[in-house]
Amino acid sequence: MSENRSEPETGIPAVDASGLPDHVTEADIRESAARERREKLRMFLTNWQGLIGLILVILFFASAIFAPWIAPYDPNALDVPSRLSGPTWDHPAGTDQLGRDTLSRLLYGGRVALKIAAIGVSVALVVGLILGMIAGFGPRWLDNLLLLAFDTVRAFPTIVLALAMVALTGPSLGMVLAIVIITSIPQYARVARTATLTLKNTDFILAERSLGASMTRTLLHHVMPNVVGPLLILAAMDVPVVVTVEAGLSFLGLGVLPPTASWGTILNEGYLVIRDAPWMVIAGGIPLILTTLGFTFLGEALRDVFDPRMGKGR
Amino acid sequence: MTRQGPTRRGFLGTTAALGAMGLMPAWSTAALAQSGTVLRLRIDGDNDVLDPGFMTGGTEIEAQKQCLPFLAQYARDGDTFNWEPSYFVNKLEQRDATHIDFELAEGLAWSNGYGPVMASDVKFSYERMKDSDWSGYFDALDHVEVTGDRTGTIVLNKPFAPFIMITLCHGPGAVLSEKAMADVGGKFTTKFPAVCGPYTYEATPGQRAVFSANPEWTGPKPAFDRVECNVITEVKAAELAFEAGELDCTEVGADTLARYTKDMPEDTGIAVAGELQYMWMGMNTEHPKLQDIRVRQAIQHAVDVDTILQGAYSGTTAKSHGIICPGLTGQRDSTGYSYDPDKARALLDEAGVSGLEVTLRTLNNQERMLAAQIIQANLMQVGITVKVLPLDSGPFWEMGQESKGDTWQELELWLMRFGTTPDPYEATQWFTSDQVGVWNWERWADEEYDRLYQEGINETDPQKRHDIYVRMQEIMENTGAYVWINHEPEAFVHRTDVVVNAAPSGELNYRRFEKA
Repeated sequence: MSENRSEPETGIPAVDASGLPDHVTEADIRESAARERREKLRMFLTNWQGLIGLILVILFFASAIFAPWIAPYDPNALDVPSRLSGPTWDHPAGTDQLGRDTLSRLLYGGRVALKIAAIGVSVALVVGLILGMIAGFGPRWLDNLLLLAFDTVRAFPTIVLALAMVALTGPSLGMVLAIVIITSIPQYARVARTATLTLKNTDFILAERSLGASMTRTLLHHVMPNVVGPLLILAAMDVPVVVTVEAGLSFLGLGVLPPTASWGTILNEGYLVIRDAPWMVIAGGIPLILTTLGFTFLGEALRDVFDPRMGKGR
Repeated sequence: MTRQGPTRRGFLGTTAALGAMGLMPAWSTAALAQSGTVLRLRIDGDNDVLDPGFMTGGTEIEAQKQCLPFLAQYARDGDTFNWEPSYFVNKLEQRDATHIDFELAEGLAWSNGYGPVMASDVKFSYERMKDSDWSGYFDALDHVEVTGDRTGTIVLNKPFAPFIMITLCHGPGAVLSEKAMADVGGKFTTKFPAVCGPYTYEATPGQRAVFSANPEWTGPKPAFDRVECNVITEVKAAELAFEAGELDCTEVGADTLARYTKDMPEDTGIAVAGELQYMWMGMNTEHPKLQDIRVRQAIQHAVDVDTILQGAYSGTTAKSHGIICPGLTGQRDSTGYSYDPDKARALLDEAGVSGLEVTLRTLNNQERMLAAQIIQANLMQVGITVKVLPLDSGPFWEMGQESKGDTWQELELWLMRFGTTPDPYEATQWFTSDQVGVWNWERWADEEYDRLYQEGINETDPQKRHDIYVRMQEIMENTGAYVWINHEPEAFVHRTDVVVNAAPSGELNYRRFEKA
C-alpha cells in the first residue's frame, strides 16, 4: 500500500500547511468552540437543579470563608447560665449545653468542612490521577500491584479504618484528612486508570510515542488533559461524601478536637439533649443536608453538561 | 361414610383457638400488670455469670439478691448508709474486732430438695471466695467456724471494720448451697443450682430475665409476684421505654434527670440510690510541666467546678470535696482551695511559668467532654493552653498503669471517676504508696497517708474513723494533684405507685420494692 495515499483512496481530506482541511479555517474552529461553550452554559443555566446546587455551593463557600466576619459571637465563648436557650433574635439557632452560640459554631463548623473537602478531595484527586495514569500506562506488573493496593484500601469500611487509625494516633483534624485522602484515592485512581487504558492505544498517543516522546511528556501533555475532566466531575460529587465522613467521624468523637466546632460535634452534642433542645440537632443537620444537596445537584448538572450520554442515559 | 378430612369451618375454628392460645401469655402478663403484680424493669445486658465468685457484678448482683440468702443488708438512715441483719438471720453481731457471730433463721430451705440452709453453707460460700475473682473482698477472712446447724462465727485474720458493710451486704456476700454446688462441679454460670429467696430465676438471652414467685419460699412475700427485667442496652432507649409505659422503673442519665426535676411527668417519681462515685481532675506530680506544686495549685484555683456541675451535669450532681462520697464516714464539706483565677495567675507568676501547654485526657463521653471543655476555657483564662484528648475506655483505663506501657510518663492532666462501696476504706485504698503506677496515677507517696490507711481499716469508733479519712483527703489535696469535681448519683425514675429499693451503689433489690 502506498505511503502517500490520495483523497479518493482514503477519504481523508487534503490538508494545508496549518494542518487543517482546506475548507476549515482557524476562525471556524474558534467559532465552533465558542458555540459549544455557549451551548454548555445554556444547558447548565436551564438546569434548575444545577442552579440550586450552584447557589448552595456558593453559600457554603461564602459562609465558611467569611465566618469570622459574619458569626455573631466567638464560637468557643462559654456562657453557661444561657445554656440550652431556644432560638431568639440574639441566638437565632439557640445555644448549646455550654451556652455557646450555635449559629456561630455552625458557621465555623463550615470552615472545618470546607478545609476537609478542599484539601482532602484535591490531594486525593491529584494522587489518584497520578497513580491511575501510571497504572494505566505502566507495565502490567505495576498495574496489577497498584490495583491490588487500591482494592485493599477500598475493602476497608471507612469508619473501621478510622477507628483503627484513631486508636493508633488519637483523634485530630489531620487524622480526618488522612482518612479522607486514603479512602478517596482509589476511586480517582481507578477512573484515571480506565481512561488511560482507553487512551493508551489511540492513534494520537501511538503517534506521540512513535515520535519518541517520553512517558512523562505523553502522560502530562496528552493523557492527563483527557482524563482530568471526568475526575473533576467525580470530585464535585465526592465533596458531600467527604463532608459527611468528617461529620460522621466528629459525631463519633473521632474527628476534630474540642473546642473546635464541627457540624458532626454539634450533632453529637445535640443528640443527647434532643428532647430538651431539639434545635441543636436541627441546626446541625440543616447545613449538612444543604451542602450535600448543593454539591450533588451541581455535580449532576456538570455531568449532564460535560457528559450528556451518562447524565441522560441513567 | 363420614368424611374425616379438613373442612373450612374446622380450619377457622382451629386457627382461632390456636390464636387465642398464642395470646394467652400476653393476656396473662397484661392482666398481672393491670393488677399490679408484675414489676417491669430494665437490665443493661444478659447476666452471664451468676456465681458470686466469678460474676461481673451489676445486674448479676441484683439476681443474687432475689434468689440467694445474705446475712446482712444495707440500711439507709437519712443521708447516711449503714447495715442491718437480713431476714435470713436471727443474729449477726460483731463480738470483737475479728469475730462476727451469726445465727441463721429457722425454716430456710434450698430449692430442688437440697435441704435446709446450714451454717456449713455459709462456711463453704465465704471460704471459697478467697480463691475467686472477688477474693479482695475476703482478704481479711481467716475462716468460718461452724458452731451448730444454724450458728457460726466469721473469724477475721486482722481487724477489718468495713467487712460487714462492703462484703456481707454486697454481691460477694451471697450464700450458696454446698451440696448443690458439689453437684454442679463447684461453679455455675446462668442457672442457680439451688435458690432460697422469694423468687426463682429464668432468662432468655438477649431478651429478658424473669423472676417468678418461688413456691417453696416461706418468708415474707414480696410486693410483686413477678419481675420482668428487659434487656435494654442503652440508657436512652430505656428512658423512652419508661415514658412509653413499658417499664415501671429505670435508671436515667444526668440530662434526663435534670429534665424530670424541672418538669416531672405525671405519675412519675425520682429515686436516688446513692452517690458512690467520685470524679476529679488528676495531675501527674512527676511530669516536668507539673513538678512544681505551685503550678498544680494554680490549676486547682483556675478550675470553676460550679460551672462544670451546671454545664456538664445540668446541676444534678453533688459538688465533691474529696474521694469520700455523700453519706459515708469521712465525707468533707469543703476544700482548701477555691475558684480564684487571680490567685492562679499569681501562683504561675511565682513559679515563673508562662505559655504552659498541657494535655487533658478524658473518656469520650458527653459529660466528660463538656467538663473538659469548661476546664479548657478556665485554664485558658490564666494562660494555660489545654489540648483535650478524648479516649476510648481501653486506652483510657491503661494510660496510668506502668504494666500497660509507657503512656504514664506522658500523662499530664486527666478526668477520672471511680465508683466505691459504702465504706471509706475502698476509696482510699487506691492512693497508697504501693499503688503508684497502678491506680495512683498522680504518683505521690506519703507515709502518714499509708499509716492512716491501716488505722482506718482497724478503727471501729465512728468519730475516729471520720477524722482519719478527713485527714487522708487533706493529705491528697495538699499534693496539689487533685481538683475535686462531683459525685454522680445513681438515679432512677419510677411510677409513683412503686417504691424503689436500691443498694447505695445502684443495684436494685426487687424483693424490697413496695407498692405505694
